[in-house]
Amino acid sequence: MGYEALDFYEVDSLLSDEERMVRDMVRDWVDKEVIPNIENACREGVFPDEWRAALGEMGVLGAPLKGYDCPGLSYTAYGVICRELERGDSGLRSFASVQGSLAMYPIWDFGSEEQKNHYLPKMTSGEWIGCFGLTEPDYGSNPGDMITRAEEMDDHYLLNGAKMWITNGTIADLAVVWAKLNGVIRGFIVEKNDPGFSAPEMKGKHSLKASVTSELVFQDCKIPKDRILPGVKGLRGPFSCLNNARFGISWGAVGAAQSCFHSAKDYAMSRIQFDHPIASYQLVQNKLAWMLREITKAQLLAYHLGKMKDVGEWIPEHISLAKMNNVDVALEIARVARDIHGANGILDEYPVMRHMANLESVKTYEGTHDIHNLILGRHITGIQSFTREI
Amino acid sequence: MNIAVLLKQVPDTTAKITISNGKVDENNVSKWSMSPYDEYALESGLQLKEVTGGSLIAITCGPERTKKMLTDAAAVGADKLIHISEDKVLDSTQVQKLLAATVEKSGAEVVLCGKQAADTNSGSTGPGVAEILNAVCVSMVSEVSINENNFISTRPSNSGAEKVSSNGISVFTFDKGISELRRPNVRGIMMAKKKTIETIKPEEIGLEIENSDRITLQSQNSPPEKEPGQIFEGVENIPEIVSKLRNEANVI
Repeated sequence: MGYEALDFYEVDSLLSDEERMVRDMVRDWVDKEVIPNIENACREGVFPDEWRAALGEMGVLGAPLKGYDCPGLSYTAYGVICRELERGDSGLRSFASVQGSLAMYPIWDFGSEEQKNHYLPKMTSGEWIGCFGLTEPDYGSNPGDMITRAEEMDDHYLLNGAKMWITNGTIADLAVVWAKLNGVIRGFIVEKNDPGFSAPEMKGKHSLKASVTSELVFQDCKIPKDRILPGVKGLRGPFSCLNNARFGISWGAVGAAQSCFHSAKDYAMSRIQFDHPIASYQLVQNKLAWMLREITKAQLLAYHLGKMKDVGEWIPEHISLAKMNNVDVALEIARVARDIHGANGILDEYPVMRHMANLESVKTYEGTHDIHNLILGRHITGIQSFTREI
Repeated sequence: MNIAVLLKQVPDTTAKITISNGKVDENNVSKWSMSPYDEYALESGLQLKEVTGGSLIAITCGPERTKKMLTDAAAVGADKLIHISEDKVLDSTQVQKLLAATVEKSGAEVVLCGKQAADTNSGSTGPGVAEILNAVCVSMVSEVSINENNFISTRPSNSGAEKVSSNGISVFTFDKGISELRRPNVRGIMMAKKKTIETIKPEEIGLEIENSDRITLQSQNSPPEKEPGQIFEGVENIPEIVSKLRNEANVI
């Protein structure tokens, strides 16, 4: 039996024909090309280059961006794409999130006309891979205190510092790097062959194993003057990118959860213990019913948020809620799915343990679960609780 | 050159089929898809179009739901979409008449379709349309190319393959082709959305379709449930197992 996505409230019937066609295209590709190869990619710790090429050919990179050969789809369609990719693997969705929302988006929104024309067509086609350098070894949730500095010289900028936990870093052709210039955070485009720039891969991950994670190191890295993003100053730059990526994650988590539910249901229906399928026992039914309940709620959150993004009536706190909730429940669903699979759940024959390990990262990156709660706490009370005088 | 591809929408091969009142319950089919052999025909049609610079006309006959399949065909490159709308239950000959008349009207010089549909498996559409059009028909092909004024089709067999040359209006029915149907992309999907589907009623092409009284589908049923396997434990059962293998399974 093929994959039938759980959609209890038929939320997908609210999608446009175009959004449904994009969904089917990506779902079909994930079935044929990703799922048969994902375990091998994880074992080898590589992001298959064919996937980069296929995402470019399908035309889904930078999905909601308009112009410069970009797809120009709705934000809802972008969400659907993320969901279908993450049904395959969170690492695959991470690749697309970083390329579209974190590397293409800042160039599209804050770049010069020359920068847009130069980079965006080759990034949407997948020819050039981008990454996003914000987090540093000592500055994760608190990026405002970053150490990386840019200095203005006669005919170039000089970058010094290091970024960490950078998806796509080692395989990237360009990095959008956030650094302080005279104390103000600015965006810079660094190309892979710029002198003084290196991107060593971080090894030994138990999570997102089919995704490349790197450090970015700048040692007197010289970049031409025309590589600064002219359109933004301060944290608004990186946070605008993160808003879009987090929106995609709120949909992506639904895909991972649907995959876990699908596997858990199939397993429970066919696994016989005490002469009957374990799906016939109340404890297992209770778990499946809880999964269905949380997935349905997560779908509705994601769909409504998509509509809000499409009409432009949203605030970052709306995205925080959806990212935080949907990843949280997806992780818990993956854990319960592993439990239903019994010992078999730890094998790579089933996707559940891989999703579970992946979602541990997804819960932490792009604003940790706790930080999103603090964002909501500030919204409710008007009192920020990120920091205080001690 | 105008290339016509005849497409049929069938229950997806992964969809669960339920029978109610002796018939497949179409309302209960979770997913409808283009019949797999038709996909090979469509891909071959797209390749012919790329070589000849012609126009590809996707034609289907069926209820409203089949329009989605035409839009899917447009997303991979079909230029013109024709939906023959007829609510009556048709037999194969009636469908062939409607398709043949539509092909004739479209001015197509070559017609491609699957060798059989994945639901009825009757395998009569291609030859039937060819008969009505008085066209050449080459069945079970895996690829079709064009060489000056001739179509060259390849028909593989267990012992090799044969190449058939034909000219004039030709109908090719596809077995598994050499290339799978290409994946759509976002650009194709956005273009397909804007493409109009021409709807044709039988009377518009001068055909009066009566209720079929020559062929009626009596009933459909699910495949019989497989009998459960038998399990034997212990050496004392060996004589019985041997006897069953010899007399019931006829394998020794």
